[in-house]
Amino acid sequence: MNRLFLVALGAVAGFGLALAASHFAYGAIPLFSTESQLARFGVAFDRVRENYLDKPEDRTLVEGAIGGMLSNLDAHSSYFDPRTYEAMETKAAGAYGGVGLVLTVKDGIAKVISPIDGTPASRAGIKPEDILVSIDGVAMKGHTLDDVSSRMRGTIGTDVALSIARGAAKPFDLKLTRESIEVERLTYHREGDVGYIKIVAFSDRTDPDLRLAVAALKRQIGPALKGFVVDLRNNGGGVLQASIDVSDDFLNEGEIVSVRGRNPQNIERYDAHYGDIAEGKPVVLLINGGTASASEIVAGALQDHRRATVLGSLSFGKGSVQSIMPLDNGAGGALHMTTARYYTPAGRSIQVTGIVPDIVVSGGPGAPDYEREVELPHHLLAEGPAAKPLGKAIEPEAGRAYDDFQLSMALAFLHKTLAVRAAAPDHA
Amino acid sequence: MKRFAFVGLGMVVGFIAALGLLPAAHGANDMSAYRQLDLFSDAFERVRANYVRPVDDGELINAAIEGMVSNLDPHSSYMDAKAFADMQIQTKGSFGGIGIEVTMENGLVKVISPIDNTPAAKAGLKAGDYIAAINGASVQGMNLNDAIDKMRGPAGSKITLTILRTGDKTAPKKPFDVTLARAVVAVDEVRWHREGDIGYIRMPGFNENTASGLENAVRDLKRQIGPGLKGYVLDLRNNPGGLLDQAVQVSDDMLISGEVVSTRGRHADDTQRYDAHPGDITDGKPVIVLVNAGTASASEIVAGALQDHHRATILGMTSFGKGSVQTIIPLGEGGGALRLTTARYYTPSGHSIQAQGIVPDIMVAAGDEDDIPKIARPSEADLPGHLAGEPVKPKANQTIIRPPATAPKTAADGKPFDFQLTYALDMLHGKVAALPVAPSAAN
Repeated sequence: MNRLFLVALGAVAGFGLALAASHFAYGAIPLFSTESQLARFGVAFDRVRENYLDKPEDRTLVEGAIGGMLSNLDAHSSYFDPRTYEAMETKAAGAYGGVGLVLTVKDGIAKVISPIDGTPASRAGIKPEDILVSIDGVAMKGHTLDDVSSRMRGTIGTDVALSIARGAAKPFDLKLTRESIEVERLTYHREGDVGYIKIVAFSDRTDPDLRLAVAALKRQIGPALKGFVVDLRNNGGGVLQASIDVSDDFLNEGEIVSVRGRNPQNIERYDAHYGDIAEGKPVVLLINGGTASASEIVAGALQDHRRATVLGSLSFGKGSVQSIMPLDNGAGGALHMTTARYYTPAGRSIQVTGIVPDIVVSGGPGAPDYEREVELPHHLLAEGPAAKPLGKAIEPEAGRAYDDFQLSMALAFLHKTLAVRAAAPDHA
Repeated sequence: MKRFAFVGLGMVVGFIAALGLLPAAHGANDMSAYRQLDLFSDAFERVRANYVRPVDDGELINAAIEGMVSNLDPHSSYMDAKAFADMQIQTKGSFGGIGIEVTMENGLVKVISPIDNTPAAKAGLKAGDYIAAINGASVQGMNLNDAIDKMRGPAGSKITLTILRTGDKTAPKKPFDVTLARAVVAVDEVRWHREGDIGYIRMPGFNENTASGLENAVRDLKRQIGPGLKGYVLDLRNNPGGLLDQAVQVSDDMLISGEVVSTRGRHADDTQRYDAHPGDITDGKPVIVLVNAGTASASEIVAGALQDHHRATILGMTSFGKGSVQTIIPLGEGGGALRLTTARYYTPSGHSIQAQGIVPDIMVAAGDEDDIPKIARPSEADLPGHLAGEPVKPKANQTIIRPPATAPKTAADGKPFDFQLTYALDMLHGKVAALPVAPSAAN
């Protein structure tokens, strides 16, 4: 699993937040299954209160219970206890920073994919493959990426103490001061006659930045412009609306994504508006196992509408939407719970199956081994038709070194020098 | 409050089924409890109504109870109706497994100790190893019961564990797979042999035959060695514990009077004392008890009792430090059961073993411990959410005796060289520094 630590995958929210509170009267005679189940909880609660070694706090018991109930649902549902929820609200409102590390968690070990240039992490010399042993003295082994990431973040100007293991050497300690990290800004440059745009995460600034990038590349390259490569590799998602806007930028019409809850009437559809900022020029989307959530929405939409050729390796497969539901107006914390799935225009659910590239190209030697949704415990099961089988990947020839094999293949494809089977997507 | 006449320790738990079903109405009798239950029912209702797919009510409640209990400490857990039924079967007979005692740490399964002569021990699994995956499925998000369940299966069937070994410098840096064939894990039998004029007794666990096993061993060793018998080595290394009454009986076998252990719960009237009876089957001969970081629970009761009564010299490394007692509390028809920490146990001198462990009288390293950094060394104090120990005066800084660089890798009989045992034998022969604690029959 690979996500930017700055971006919560679960941030593809914006749906179903206004759910009415329905209070259940506890203590009625257990006549119905639900009530008797609640009564069973009441008995267990009571036994623990009475018999546990030390008198437990009632709130601790209930927080443990709600936490257990939520995290057992699926890999992305969890409970924010009142302290966590309050801290989150404060963070959302204020100056909020990090140290600039792109991380992955594999087999319970938190590892650095790369430090982001110009951030405290890169200035301190943290390197790819470094293992994060502890944060502020807490051992990170076995922690989820969400947890590791949220411990790295905090108020700008505060310190975070890291213990890092590199190779076989003894772990060493570093103290870094959190800064505002601007990784969410997309970057772009020309690759000869092709415009290259890298979107690392989806935020409110992504769509305006994309428009500026396309305009600048058109100006720089001029009429010879062959097309665009939009790099969504290692983009763990972000704000749903941003991914809709980005898809809309390249589409003239039709559905981009639909978000469907449990009840059939709970469907929200998002449609494209007329106008294609790339004026119909070919677009190649680069994806890999770290492409998740909002990124998969873009890849799915442009693939189904045959507006882009998707190239790279199978994406992460997070097709679920989480909502945040405060309990007792936030005094009881909040449920962070999966409430919907999203579907591509062709009606495919991305959950577990992910986006299968039109042209499967290996990441080359040294590409990280991504942990995908399907490997998460309690992942929400796939739904709908099985995905097209993943074809054999194009591998770099032995002995030839590429800076970025997938990008090279994307450029070759735009230059029509890549001999591939008909690249026309066949999903729509 | 209802109390049970029996407590279980360690991974082997005593179980009392004779619990009357308490009234179904919850006895929460203050506003805080009502408020919290209200909050819970609100959360429950919202999940039922809004989760992306309908979820079974029972499943939600099981997860909630498990979350509530496992949040308390690393040894409390919930068994759903099926797990509870399985447990009742398993405590009655042998089962197919691989033979490790495990705990949960940071979402991974951690090996406390491999049990002698089991597939796990033969495959070289070590205390402190983390099990990251079972048959390719990550253990993250599993609770301990699920993980144990997955490791059990018919004898002869194959299981692949993905092991993370962080501490040992010679270990592979990356997780590696070990494939084992499950075997019938017999209830741990006491084994013994003579080491010249010394009786060596290996106690791998505490089950219902352990005390009688010890008695047989002593009888047989006396016959084999005769009047030249110098003393005994009781090996409790990597013994994760088991039945409390057996630990009491084993201690009693070598003590003639005084308290063996007491268990103290939340209320003063929960205190239970276990006393020794006259009679020492070893006739007051010197005893050395071997302990290490895998010595836990019931084993620590024996080591603590014999140490406090100056009946034995404790040799080795500081023990695990599991000084808590779990009680099985059934939740009524089809409701499963809680495995809940309800008491601490205290050695005769009144100190709690919880998180402190038994500090040996003579610290002797096996030789491989120092390569294991703190993060990988298993001990109760390392477990997240462990019960706090009671403050004790730290013993004067003891020197750790380490194997000399010239120590052989293997003993004459081809087995790995056992420095701790060798040191114990030398002590009994008076070849190394005199015992700092003179063993006396009892006090």
